[in-house]
Amino acid sequence: MHDDDLITLVRESFTGLRTTTPVEKILRRGHAVRARRRIPVLTGALAVVAGAALAVTTLLPGGHQPSPQPSTLPTAQLAAWTVTRQADGTIRVNIRELQNPAGLQSRLRADGVPASVTLTGQENPACRPYPASAALQKRVLSITSEIIPLTHQGPPPSTSPPEPNLVLVFHINPAALPRGAGVQLATSFTPVRPGLATSAIRHGLVYASPQCTGS
Amino acid sequence: MGSQRRDFAEFYRESCDDCLRAVLVSVGNRDTAQDLVDEAFARAFASWRTVSRHPAPVAWVVRTALNANISRWRRRRREVPVPDPGLMADPAAADAAAGRSVDPRIMAALLRLPARQRQVVALRLFLDLDTARTAEVLGIAPSTVKAHLARALAALRDTIPTPRQEMPSCTTTT
Repeated sequence: MHDDDLITLVRESFTGLRTTTPVEKILRRGHAVRARRRIPVLTGALAVVAGAALAVTTLLPGGHQPSPQPSTLPTAQLAAWTVTRQADGTIRVNIRELQNPAGLQSRLRADGVPASVTLTGQENPACRPYPASAALQKRVLSITSEIIPLTHQGPPPSTSPPEPNLVLVFHINPAALPRGAGVQLATSFTPVRPGLATSAIRHGLVYASPQCTGS
Repeated sequence: MGSQRRDFAEFYRESCDDCLRAVLVSVGNRDTAQDLVDEAFARAFASWRTVSRHPAPVAWVVRTALNANISRWRRRRREVPVPDPGLMADPAAADAAAGRSVDPRIMAALLRLPARQRQVVALRLFLDLDTARTAEVLGIAPSTVKAHLARALAALRDTIPTPRQEMPSCTTTT
């Protein structure tokens, strides 16, 4: 048997073998791969920035992981940020993109948290760091990142599921905030494209004052 | 994003069967091959901007699937004994390995080949890659690809019955 005949015979013997996986399933799995890749990017960026701003920041917990059950999380709106008071009295701030930081600052103040909210690099020079131990800062303010399925506005997507979205989550405990202190949140957390977000974050406690926190 | 999705879907439909065949010949198990190919295509979609510019995206997919198989094997080697596909080279086992969709005699003959020869056969025959691209994907010299292919074809020629051998002898009456 010539090589060409042999090759044809082998090839033809496999023509009955076909993949059984629909493309939609591959696309969903691909979205999951993208989502898995986002977390190290964000966590790495957080660690770098936290190191640079050591005086007023706390690091993410060493074993930080995204929630293992994103489907059970609340569905985020397309708003750049949301503020939610939790049943235990803490305040949860989801930031998808920091637009209108002054609006977020006002909203936090209305919820009883004196705050200075700016983009990173544009921190209010009137704010002075409040001396606090790492443990106290951690009780008052912590950061996580989570993948939350976005709700789509307008007609639903044809075949694809909602694309998971990475959001930065600040947990603030007003009850642990010392008298005369406020929180400082500075971030430039911005999704660049699917699978990649940039973030430069500075957060900590500051002295509350009309010039800094507006209260 | 919509055009990317369409491009990828078209690429998947055109190449998924060939990739599955190539990976099956390499790993010797239908279910494993299907899962590896699914994972490789998912990774391709996750990096579609890059993969779509690859000179041979199908080769990227198969290489990714084979790498994933190596990683899987490394994770499991202390927990689960992994049979060498070459040891399953009897037609019955080969029939089961291929999910009963491939001629078991040919599958058995392929599984008797050494792993590297099977990989060369997979890339050259099922993906139709040329010698240079096959060498690049496998990280070996082009001359080595040629040698492996020649040996593989020689071995297959010896073990695969020719169609003529299978034909019943003709009897004529006058």
